[in-house]
Amino acid sequence: MNTIYWFQQTAYPVLAVLQLLPLAGALLTGYLRTRPFAPMIGRAVALLVLLVAIDLYRMLDKTHAALQMTEYQPLIGPFVYHAAADGVTVLFVLLAALLTFLLTLYTAARRLDAPGQLVAVILLLEAVLMSLLVTADLLWFVIVSALELGLAGYLSWRWATTPERGLALLRFYQFQGTGLLLLFAGTLMLGWHFADSAGYWSFDLADLTKVSYQGPLATVIFYLLFYGLAVRTPLFPFHGWLPLVAHRGNVAIAPAFLLGVKVGLYGLVRFVFPILPQAVEKWHAYAVAFAVAGVFYAAFLAFQQQNLRRLMAFAVVSHTSLVVIGLFSLERTALQGALLLAVNFGLAATAMLFMIGFVYNRTNTTELSRLGGLFDRIPYISIAFLASGLAIIGMPGTPGFDAAHMVLEASIERFGALLTVAAAVGNVAAAGFLLYAFQRAFLSPAPAGVDLDTIDRSKPMELLVAVLVLAVLLGTGFYSEPWMVLTDAPMQALGTHFEHTGIVSH
Amino acid sequence: MDALPLLTLLILIPPLGAALMALLARHETARLVALLTVAADLVLSLWLVAGFDPASGRFQWVEQRPWIPTLHITYMVGVDGISLLFLPLTALLFAGIIIASWNSVRVMPRLYYALLLLQLAATLGIFIAIDTILFFLFWEVSLIPLFFLVSLWGVGPERRHAANKYTLIMLSGGVPLLFGFLLLAFNHASGASLAIPQGLSFDLPTLLATPLAPELELAVFALLFLGFAVKTPLFPLHSWLPVMAMEGPVAIVATLTGLKLGAYGLLRFAIPLAPHAAHDLRWLLIGLAVIGILYGAVAALAQTNLRRMLAYSSMSHVGLVVLGLASFSLQGVQGAVLQLLNFTIVAGGSFLLLAMLRHRTGSTDTADLGGVVHSMPLLAMLFLLLGLAGMGVPGTSGFPAELLLLLSILKTHTGAGMAALFGMVIGAGYFLSLYRRAFLGPAHNPAVIHGADLLPRERWLMALVAVLVLLAGFAPSWVIDLIAPAAQGWAARLG
Repeated sequence: MNTIYWFQQTAYPVLAVLQLLPLAGALLTGYLRTRPFAPMIGRAVALLVLLVAIDLYRMLDKTHAALQMTEYQPLIGPFVYHAAADGVTVLFVLLAALLTFLLTLYTAARRLDAPGQLVAVILLLEAVLMSLLVTADLLWFVIVSALELGLAGYLSWRWATTPERGLALLRFYQFQGTGLLLLFAGTLMLGWHFADSAGYWSFDLADLTKVSYQGPLATVIFYLLFYGLAVRTPLFPFHGWLPLVAHRGNVAIAPAFLLGVKVGLYGLVRFVFPILPQAVEKWHAYAVAFAVAGVFYAAFLAFQQQNLRRLMAFAVVSHTSLVVIGLFSLERTALQGALLLAVNFGLAATAMLFMIGFVYNRTNTTELSRLGGLFDRIPYISIAFLASGLAIIGMPGTPGFDAAHMVLEASIERFGALLTVAAAVGNVAAAGFLLYAFQRAFLSPAPAGVDLDTIDRSKPMELLVAVLVLAVLLGTGFYSEPWMVLTDAPMQALGTHFEHTGIVSH
Repeated sequence: MDALPLLTLLILIPPLGAALMALLARHETARLVALLTVAADLVLSLWLVAGFDPASGRFQWVEQRPWIPTLHITYMVGVDGISLLFLPLTALLFAGIIIASWNSVRVMPRLYYALLLLQLAATLGIFIAIDTILFFLFWEVSLIPLFFLVSLWGVGPERRHAANKYTLIMLSGGVPLLFGFLLLAFNHASGASLAIPQGLSFDLPTLLATPLAPELELAVFALLFLGFAVKTPLFPLHSWLPVMAMEGPVAIVATLTGLKLGAYGLLRFAIPLAPHAAHDLRWLLIGLAVIGILYGAVAALAQTNLRRMLAYSSMSHVGLVVLGLASFSLQGVQGAVLQLLNFTIVAGGSFLLLAMLRHRTGSTDTADLGGVVHSMPLLAMLFLLLGLAGMGVPGTSGFPAELLLLLSILKTHTGAGMAALFGMVIGAGYFLSLYRRAFLGPAHNPAVIHGADLLPRERWLMALVAVLVLLAGFAPSWVIDLIAPAAQGWAARLG
């Protein structure tokens, strides 16, 4: 495979800029953190990053399946800087840039304490996240993952809304630490195996895909990597940290990063699927079995929740499982659909978190029994909440529909109608609890002791966030073709790994 | 064919009107703009009717554009004789809703009208979509405005529960529907021995021309039938209808009883796409239809509230439509289309009258009524006229429809036809007995005694409805001729 370097395609190393620009922005905002205009600078940088991401989308050769815009620099021994992008990368980069920008707007609307510092941490997290998305080196991915999780934990703890934030942080680090350890072990085994056959150590994606992994070795590595990523996805039964973090941490900021950009799923597609196709194929039924159990388990628990934030956490576990079913259908359309679904869920879940945050701003609670009647006071926030809920259940007209459609199509072929119908029914269950929550919080009469007139009307900044979110959801929902094109070539290439078992011949 | 994309315009005008609502400050202007938007749609749909070639049984005014090229999903719309007349009647019904709820929308009027217009666009979309996925889009999207309309402006104390229940039942019904459409697309791919997604096809004319293996056809029909039966509603999937009739805003419920979208789905998609399976399963169709006719009629007999009575009676009537479809004959399908059109006027119009009545008296329960005819003679007369048209009395629009339906059924399934006749007799019984209790006799409720009769705007609306009822009753041949070519094509698939 001949490498396509960045200077063959662009005038500037766009991937490096994507990582360094938010980093510089973070340092600047952090330095000026006490000045009143610091958050403003942060927002400008976030917008600039979004523009660079759009420029990356523009410059990418979408017909090409291979990684492009490569930047390569050996550092110490086997540790190299290797950044590259394909359609999938660009899709996630766009999402991450958009979410960060919306987050900076959101923090302005929420008026949290230490705003300068907050925006600095958000930008730092964005830089780390971008690095995570554009790297083509597994070791780099693992190390940056550790950084990202550390930062996300800090963010959740520092701006938490409840006194139990210490417990939430502890659980978060325990779970994620275990996941990272598994991931690291799997990575080392891959590198070792490569060193065994090639004579030198490397964790580069291009190198690791050259060797084939057979038998128990492949199985062990697959499960190490899969479980490692499953913790952060989160996939049932590794989701234990999520309800705590969602409920006891802050409302939207850390969860937006953890749930909005589904790095766990991205890691599966970027590294695990191409490196270990045989093992993935061998064990895909187990992954799907976990996922189907997850759809129902989480939907069932979501029905029991009395708190909007916990309910949201279980909704995420439920819908993430649907994405996993799509990925492990191992067929081009399903892979494509699953990626789009992951991005849609990320966007929709973040939008919903934002709206929950705006509600929390007014009520200081997210207990459903203490909410009610908000629709009259904040109709736009309510409608954005419902629209994101509908996107989560894959309503036609939202980006979730086309994506879910593709996943279901492939899943019928691979696993039969029964399992697919079950997954779709699980999705309707999700519709049930989201509608229920919406009715309780926004439409039912206000509970005794709550004076609706004291609830503030929507502020311009909140309206801006709500309208932007709505526009992106509906815009990509009715016109999903660009995103399909973006993932078409890479997923076709990835699909060929599994072609001989698939029903489809190209 | 015209160069202007008229059908697209038809579904674009209402959302534009809805967007305009955000700019209007006053309640009165919002209401007027909403009415003008609907009127524009009505005029446009009449223009479509005027330009329609009645001799052709094919889809006309067809527009096809790529929508999701990767999956071969297209934006494809068109109308034939079966769907054409639903367009002006739907627009008229929505105009009626705005007029009937003229002064009863007190909270958030702009949102109310915006949602109503979106609902109109989605409903028209259901009638003109001939790509299965586009149809599904409109089918599901129409739930959202209704969810809000019922939750926020419903009249019953359980309105939020009713809205949840309805939306969830309809979403569950959407699952088999989507799978049915997917199966058809898969079948097209394997029939053309093309890979997925290159070989997928979702547009109705192509799918109609694609042969289907018997066992697959059975599965497709079962899935589509289940999906549409929920909406129709067929017994035992009807439990949402009486709840919605009581809890929803009275004028809005007119869209549920007036527009029988489930039966339209059976007519347009389920039966033509899987004709042999439909033929094999006709015992199921006929059985459920007969149970629906009798169950609805007996349940209507037991009601004391006019809205519940109309809900059950619409269930009974739609059973007759399904029965007509299950005769798989030309008269059957002509009668079915005619009856569905008749419902839009009669069942929709009756509910609008009840909305007006409830606005004046605060109730539609016979216990609170009685003697309405003294203070509101026009309203009472019109309700009687629409009731008689619902029973199929000669001279009203119901007569040719029911005659065609009964003829076709008695010819093919005599037993079921007798049961349907019996159901119609009960129908006359419950309507007249409830009418007597609610409208005749002495008035005792002060709200009834001092109630004002129809206002000029309501009078104009209902006069138009009455003219349509009588016109279709005395001169039905024009409508029947318009339906005939498409209906012949429909019946030929099953021959």
